[in-house]
Amino acid sequence: MTAKRVTFKLNGVTLEAPEGQLVIEAAKAAGVEIPHYCYHPALGNPGNCRLCVVEVAGAPKPMVSCRTQVREGLEVYTDSEPARRAQASSLELHLVNHPLDCPVCDQSGECGLQDYYMKFGRYDSQVREAKEHKRKRLEIGPHVMLDQERCVLCTRCTRFTEKITKTSELGIFGRGHKEFVDLAPGQRLDNAYSGNTVDLCPVGALTDKDFRFKVRVWYLDQTPSICADCSRGCNVSLHTNTKRPWHDEGRRLARVKPRHNPEVNQWWLCDEGRYGFKKFDEDRLGRVMRLIPYRRELAWETALDELASELRRELEALGPEGLAVVASGALSNEDWAAFKAFFVDALGCKRFLFAPQPDQLGIEDDLLRRKEKVPNLEGGKALGFGSAVASLSWERLEADLEAGKIWGLYLIERDAARFWGAKASALLSKPRLVVWQGPWKGRTGELAHFRLPATAHIEEDGHFTNFEGRIQAYQKALEPLGQARPDWSIFEGLRQRLGAAQKAAR
Amino acid sequence: MIGQTVWTAVKVALALGFGMNMAGLLAWLERKQSAISQDRIGANRAAILGVSAWGLFNQIADALKGLTKENWVPPQGRPRLHALAPAISLGFSLFCLSALPFGGVVHVAGRLWSLQPLESSFGLPLVLCFLSLGVHGVVMAGYASGSNYGLLGGLRAAAQMISYEVCLAVSLAGCAFIYGTLDLQQAVLWQGRLLGGWLPAWGIVVQPAAFLLFLAAGAAVTKRAPFDVPEGESEIVGYFVEYSGMKFLMFLITDFIESIVIAGLIVTLFLGGWQIPWVTLTGALGGVLMLAAFSAKLLLVLLLLMQIRWTLPRFRFDQVLDLGWKNILPLAMLNFIVTVWGVLLWRLR
Amino acid sequence: MAATVATVRRPERTLATRIYLIEVFRGLVVTTRHLLVNLYRHARRALGLGGPAGAVTIQYPEDPARLGARARTRHRLLKRDDGSPRCTACLLCETICPARCIRITAEDSPVEVVEKRAKTFQIDLGLCVFCGYCAEACPVDAIHMDANKVELSTYTRADLIWDMAELMDDKPKRPSLPSLHP
Repeated sequence: MTAKRVTFKLNGVTLEAPEGQLVIEAAKAAGVEIPHYCYHPALGNPGNCRLCVVEVAGAPKPMVSCRTQVREGLEVYTDSEPARRAQASSLELHLVNHPLDCPVCDQSGECGLQDYYMKFGRYDSQVREAKEHKRKRLEIGPHVMLDQERCVLCTRCTRFTEKITKTSELGIFGRGHKEFVDLAPGQRLDNAYSGNTVDLCPVGALTDKDFRFKVRVWYLDQTPSICADCSRGCNVSLHTNTKRPWHDEGRRLARVKPRHNPEVNQWWLCDEGRYGFKKFDEDRLGRVMRLIPYRRELAWETALDELASELRRELEALGPEGLAVVASGALSNEDWAAFKAFFVDALGCKRFLFAPQPDQLGIEDDLLRRKEKVPNLEGGKALGFGSAVASLSWERLEADLEAGKIWGLYLIERDAARFWGAKASALLSKPRLVVWQGPWKGRTGELAHFRLPATAHIEEDGHFTNFEGRIQAYQKALEPLGQARPDWSIFEGLRQRLGAAQKAAR
Repeated sequence: MIGQTVWTAVKVALALGFGMNMAGLLAWLERKQSAISQDRIGANRAAILGVSAWGLFNQIADALKGLTKENWVPPQGRPRLHALAPAISLGFSLFCLSALPFGGVVHVAGRLWSLQPLESSFGLPLVLCFLSLGVHGVVMAGYASGSNYGLLGGLRAAAQMISYEVCLAVSLAGCAFIYGTLDLQQAVLWQGRLLGGWLPAWGIVVQPAAFLLFLAAGAAVTKRAPFDVPEGESEIVGYFVEYSGMKFLMFLITDFIESIVIAGLIVTLFLGGWQIPWVTLTGALGGVLMLAAFSAKLLLVLLLLMQIRWTLPRFRFDQVLDLGWKNILPLAMLNFIVTVWGVLLWRLR
Repeated sequence: MAATVATVRRPERTLATRIYLIEVFRGLVVTTRHLLVNLYRHARRALGLGGPAGAVTIQYPEDPARLGARARTRHRLLKRDDGSPRCTACLLCETICPARCIRITAEDSPVEVVEKRAKTFQIDLGLCVFCGYCAEACPVDAIHMDANKVELSTYTRADLIWDMAELMDDKPKRPSLPSLHP
């Protein structure tokens, strides 16, 4: 149903909007920012922050724009003197009991109070009374810290737990200036989406335990990306700290925040995706190594030459049937294409393991989380992996290895050794050639013959296809660590070497 | 004949010794004079047993430092020329000293003793020629350094020195015309006369304009401030940028020696040389007084040159050349023409 | 403060100034006056007659350096009355520092009111440009540039880095020793 379009005036400019749209939304569409705390498109408009007040012609007093609907002939002023004064007064009331501990507050730099004070306030404080003190530094869940003093009681967080996660851990208690936000009795903010309350909180009342005191937000660079922790493909923004490496124990990726995409993840991100980023700088590979027959570091060109010649020798002697390739849905579409061109088209390889096995399956729910904890199985499917090319299972591969059918094992970002546990070293010593390729070392990285460092997806540009078939681009947020290269360029380098040799042989 | 040669050799050696010692003294004098003019103390840190002798020992320390520093030649340079250049600069300027009349001829112990080391009937052009040969050392230094900056500095220095040598010669033409000689000793003797019975006929009296022009041109030829664009120690790199140690100090000494030569010429040609007005100098005492008078006048001129150096800011290079070619040279020529006509008219009177 | 514009007229170049000789002479008078007056003063003092000094030189290592009242010298971290550092690790100094010579890492503080404090606080004086912005930016008056120490030379770059205890004068700065590998 499309609403009737009506004309109304915003700050003297005639605009068109669907009838019944909230003035705050219509203004946002026209590029006019009206300050607000409690209103959120997904969480409704309780109208309790009173910050979005505007002047409406004919109305005896300022109106809250989040509860005023557009109608024919409406005249709204957001920046007139009465509107400004009303907004500033509301802001001043919000700050009456605010502790103003910005220097130690993690929100500072992205705080609604700071931003709106600079944009809409700039009054001289008239408050002479002592501030109301409430409880600070409360660990209300595994990921979230609460500071009741800083809260402006917008109720966004309580409405999120009520309406979105339907867990209702948070509530508002008390009356008047003693009102405070807190956990419901006996509860802990421990749902799978608790981190979103931190994003929703316009002030420093709810902060990330994980990010607490690590880096100042103004040190961070933001890069649009796609979450790689399940096949949903949530849109995220990567916040990286590269200029001051002494913070956050040298981690380059400081935090992950959701990006609004109404088609995929709306405003939200699950805690798995949000807090899973620490792995990006841990156990990383930066050097090209050959571990067997003896351990030495190689230049990329030498490593690719050696690997290509070994592959060629075994292929000529034993044929492509004995080569098994274990891939992961973490490959980008670009990687998948190069993967197919190399392993299927150039080598004629037949044994693949890429379908999610228990090592890559997790919890699924009906909000965002998907069962497959890899981002890009669909990209492989589009190239025939899963339909034309069947996938092995770990058990089958294990059996084949035991039977000695496999002379070569090429593992890409999938830690077989961890999955096999104690059997791993025996199993991996069977083939003549074991290659480990990936951003992380894992256990397999210690047992392989070749160890090739690949970039993590945050270090390259690329595309993921999510479970619905939606192709989404992600951007390079960080420089590759050490010698790491994108997976596709490794496949391509090997393919060119083998191709050249085959041509020469012909 | 052999006795004469030995006496000349002794005089030349004494003149060179005088020049070298004067140079060391001047370096100290310059430091102290500039410091005191600028409300500072000046170098005073080198001390022997706690005695610093107003910084005199700094000169010894500097010399020791210069002698013990590494003899560095830039790898892209030409080592032989690099070593030859300061020697040429210093050698020619030192030679000029021996042509200056430090005193007249005195009658002692039954024979005549000339106190001029090298007696020559063309002393003036001799000095000017050897002074201008110094430019070879400068250009050679820039060339042998194998450095573009050094080479540019050398060319800049050559341009300036050659420009001002022309001025130097032309501004002295009037004097030579009046004195009627190129022999420096004769020029001094000419200035012994009194004008109107009381005024000494010094060059500064009969050729005041030439005196000022020569002073300016002399300062420029010796590359002293405000004409020290060729060196420009810290701001614009000069021809000796690739020099260090004693070879570098030799260039500095050259500057001082050239200053002494210019001052000596000024004393000889404009300030009556070794003459003391209204006093006739004879005998051994006269000889001593001659040397004393010459040295005192020399020191005064040097002090004046240094005071000018520490007063004026450096000229820009185009200003330096403009001043030489467009101002001093025409004025010197005009001075010469006026002098010639004046003398002619005086004679015809 | 409103900017004020003062028009300074260039002195006119008359014939007298262009000839320059008179100007040279006037300059000589000035420098020579200084020379003679200072010589006289030096001489008086040398003779033990006292009078004003002939030079403004400070004989530095023997005479202590005279610092201006507002001279910015080495940083000092201040303490609260209970002896704990005032710094709350807000990182404003680190942010404003144009030389990026301040490195702070933060941690939870046991103090109830101020929940954050500095775990490490380093200033690399080898990078510091002594602009004083850090002291200006500090909201809790924790950092001053008034240690009045200017002798900060070291033999190695690493010795130029001061840590929190040293900046608070809790621990004397380790003396710098010559190193073969600076």
